[in-house]
Amino acid sequence: MKIVVIGAGQVGSTVVEALHNEHDVTVVDLDEQRLSALAERYDAGVIVGNGASRRTLEEAGVRNAGLLIACTSRDEINIIAAIFSKKIAPATKTVVRTTNEEYLEIWHERELDFDLIVSSERETALAVSGLIGVPAARQTDVFADGQVQIVEFDVDGGQRVIGVPLREAEIPPDSKVASIIRGDSIVVPRGEEKIELGDRIIVIGSPEAAQAWSTIIAPAGRRVEDVVIYGAGRTGLATARVLAEQGIKVRIVEPSLERARTAAEELPDARVFQASGMDAEFIERENINKAQAAVFAMRDDAKNHYAATLVKLHGVPYTIAIVHDAHSVEVFERVGIDRAVNPRMITAEEIVRFAHDPRTQQVTMLEGNRFEILDITVRPESKLLGTPFRDLPRTGALIGAIVRESEAVFPHGDDVLLPGDRVIVFTESKRVSIVEQAL
Amino acid sequence: MRQRLGVDLAATFNLVGGLVKYLSLAPLVPAAVATGYGESPAPFLLATAIGFFCGWTMERLSYGKKQVGMREGFLVVSLTWLFAAMIGALPYWLTAEVQFASPVDSYFEAMSGFTTTGATIVTDIEGLPHGLAMWRQLTQWLGGMGIIVLALAVLPRLRVGGRQLLETELPGPEIEEMTLRIRETAQRLWLLYIALTALMVAVLSVIAWTGLDATMSFYEAVAHALTTLPTGGFSTRARSLEEFGAASQWAIAFFMVVAGVNFALMYRAFFRRQPRVFVRDEEFRLYLTLLGLGSAVLVVELWSEGVLRGEAAIRHSVVNAVSLMTTTGYASADFNEWPLLAAIVLVALMFVGGSAGSTGGSVKVVRHLLLGRILTRELDQAVHPEVVSRIHLNGRPVDERIVRAISSFVLLYVGVFAVGTLLLIIDAARVDSGLRLLDAVAAAATTLGNVGPAFGFAGPMGSFEPFSDFSKIVMIVLMWVGRLEIIPVAVLLTRSYWRV
Repeated sequence: MKIVVIGAGQVGSTVVEALHNEHDVTVVDLDEQRLSALAERYDAGVIVGNGASRRTLEEAGVRNAGLLIACTSRDEINIIAAIFSKKIAPATKTVVRTTNEEYLEIWHERELDFDLIVSSERETALAVSGLIGVPAARQTDVFADGQVQIVEFDVDGGQRVIGVPLREAEIPPDSKVASIIRGDSIVVPRGEEKIELGDRIIVIGSPEAAQAWSTIIAPAGRRVEDVVIYGAGRTGLATARVLAEQGIKVRIVEPSLERARTAAEELPDARVFQASGMDAEFIERENINKAQAAVFAMRDDAKNHYAATLVKLHGVPYTIAIVHDAHSVEVFERVGIDRAVNPRMITAEEIVRFAHDPRTQQVTMLEGNRFEILDITVRPESKLLGTPFRDLPRTGALIGAIVRESEAVFPHGDDVLLPGDRVIVFTESKRVSIVEQAL
Repeated sequence: MRQRLGVDLAATFNLVGGLVKYLSLAPLVPAAVATGYGESPAPFLLATAIGFFCGWTMERLSYGKKQVGMREGFLVVSLTWLFAAMIGALPYWLTAEVQFASPVDSYFEAMSGFTTTGATIVTDIEGLPHGLAMWRQLTQWLGGMGIIVLALAVLPRLRVGGRQLLETELPGPEIEEMTLRIRETAQRLWLLYIALTALMVAVLSVIAWTGLDATMSFYEAVAHALTTLPTGGFSTRARSLEEFGAASQWAIAFFMVVAGVNFALMYRAFFRRQPRVFVRDEEFRLYLTLLGLGSAVLVVELWSEGVLRGEAAIRHSVVNAVSLMTTTGYASADFNEWPLLAAIVLVALMFVGGSAGSTGGSVKVVRHLLLGRILTRELDQAVHPEVVSRIHLNGRPVDERIVRAISSFVLLYVGVFAVGTLLLIIDAARVDSGLRLLDAVAAAATTLGNVGPAFGFAGPMGSFEPFSDFSKIVMIVLMWVGRLEIIPVAVLLTRSYWRV
């Protein structure tokens, strides 16, 4: 399939990275240097030009493309590019990235004729709330309307599962260990494999099982009910809204009076402080340090870093930073901030999900781009139909759950795949197309 | 001299003259009633003639611009209500009726009518001719939804700029921006008002015709509907609702509750078929809660003190609590004779009032609700200085200007009430009228809140006639500023209002 990508920033290059092997990708951007850097690393065509110009779009080949991905950092450019694309080639599917949740709402009301709109703020908020829901998780995502959850844990505790062969360990029902990552090597877990301290594991299972795993690995991690958010920008507000909807008590710290007022106006249930939140006296007096988790959603990575360290020092057990620089995630997690979330990365994931096989409903990337989780419907002619799970070929891919008539089933050795089943598959990224062909 | 004024007096008087001219047509209705009962319509026709001539002269002598501005609006509304009461007073004063011999008494009765207070200087109401009695009721009905609102609704080309005139006259703080055109808003409010009045006449007539209440009649039904929906409280009987049967009293109590509800809310519920607006509205919920609470305290007090028992205890508690809280001012029993605690509860209810956008007076439920939130916020900020919070109502943020306006309104209200009480008590000592402190408090609260009855000789079955002329003038002013919610009158007393 021919894909046109508008914007070669972080989101654009992540999208290109994920798609260039299987698709014919052309990237449009105004910045020539960015494009040449991209062209050096990936097999993609590049065009220097304005994505909101019809001539550039024609030149990029929108007319023959199957998909247009407009993912610059500017909403208006993205929307205009998608509108022009629909005019030039109505059959070409369009994906629009937006920073404004209002466009998302309008799209849900079917007032915008695009095939997908992705809001970085909304996706980030959902990611943060997922992390807070399963405190021990490094990363988490849900499938099949929330019936299946995939969670990545760092194993730093949990006597019940460490050092015991997996088939003998008391692991929570309705869950599977999909992968054990030990240093640079990846272990595909068979029954005799053991989880060791310091491993990173990926678990697929029901949400209840995910929470059970969380309590095994981090026994101190109880349900989070009190969260402090630093920064009341769009991402901070979106996160606060999602958390408040879950009944979590939210406190917001924002230095600008104007933005603090907006926050107080939009979130009647949140408590808003107009303060930098960077001085110890304030943190102690307002019991910021008694919060169970803190989210740092300020614009400046360095400020987020400092505030997170300070708050951590005063006793907040769980800190999540929303970072903007591509390399910040590693920096933050290295220095002791519990989790770092990169909105551009998350946005790219959402877009890649859509760009995959049309049968594939959802994709999650883990460990950078090393693994993917696919949500895919089995073809009626698939050779795997009817084979019991224990006899399926071992290819390094793992079926974590089956969605059968809208109900999630967590398969055992005797189960078989039936036509019409949707499966949640864990696989290495480089094997995605093989898995898709097999199913 | 005119050059130094910041207010366009000519345009103001021109508009007031026009309004007076149209309002002077109102006495034609009681003229017809009087003719129907074989009484002389002369005082009403004379009042119309004098009023029309004065209005016409005022209009002619001043030259108006096409529009009055926001500044003139305050003066227009304040003056219109003073002149309206004058027109209202003319029929009383022009009759041979001895109870209205004094012009102050006539003016008091008219002001009490238009402001929907319901305090009366009449001692023998049954002795009044039908025409005059109906005029009392009609003034309340006209004043309830507002004279200017009515003019906006029906007059083709009233030269009014902006919605400020409407907002000045409508009771309660304007928290939700009106989205409709002024004329349309005014028409809808009056339409609903007329519909509810008609419904109440029908209900009371059915009670009369089915023989549920022998005292009730079509005449009484009309008379009481005209003073219930404006939360007025004038009755055709000296002993108010006491002589009516239980069925009528319950029906009137129901309509008093209705009259105290925000009319815009009712419009949406009935005409737009959105009954859920009632459930969601925080003011409405508090309004019902306070009515229930007030009634419950009275039931317990009356029952335990052995004053009343059974259905009568519940009925008299509910009717009188509803009557005083919605600022209607009927009474189904002489609560003058009730124990002190009951009296204190009733006086406290006078300060609650109806909902914003209803015909009820006093402070209004929504102001109490928001004042509670404002105080909570102030206390919270004393402990947590960095906290930024917005006052919300029904899940929506309330503008900070309105928050400030509510605090200052309540402050002004309490201030005017205190000054009023002080003047009444001093004057009572001067003429030695035997007014107790509680009576003075109640008289000031009842007139400022446009309620009606007080305690002592001015109690529910009594009359304000024994007050001195000075006290009556004080109370006339209280009724006037109370109906206009103080601010429009108060700004007239500031220098910055008159300066360029």
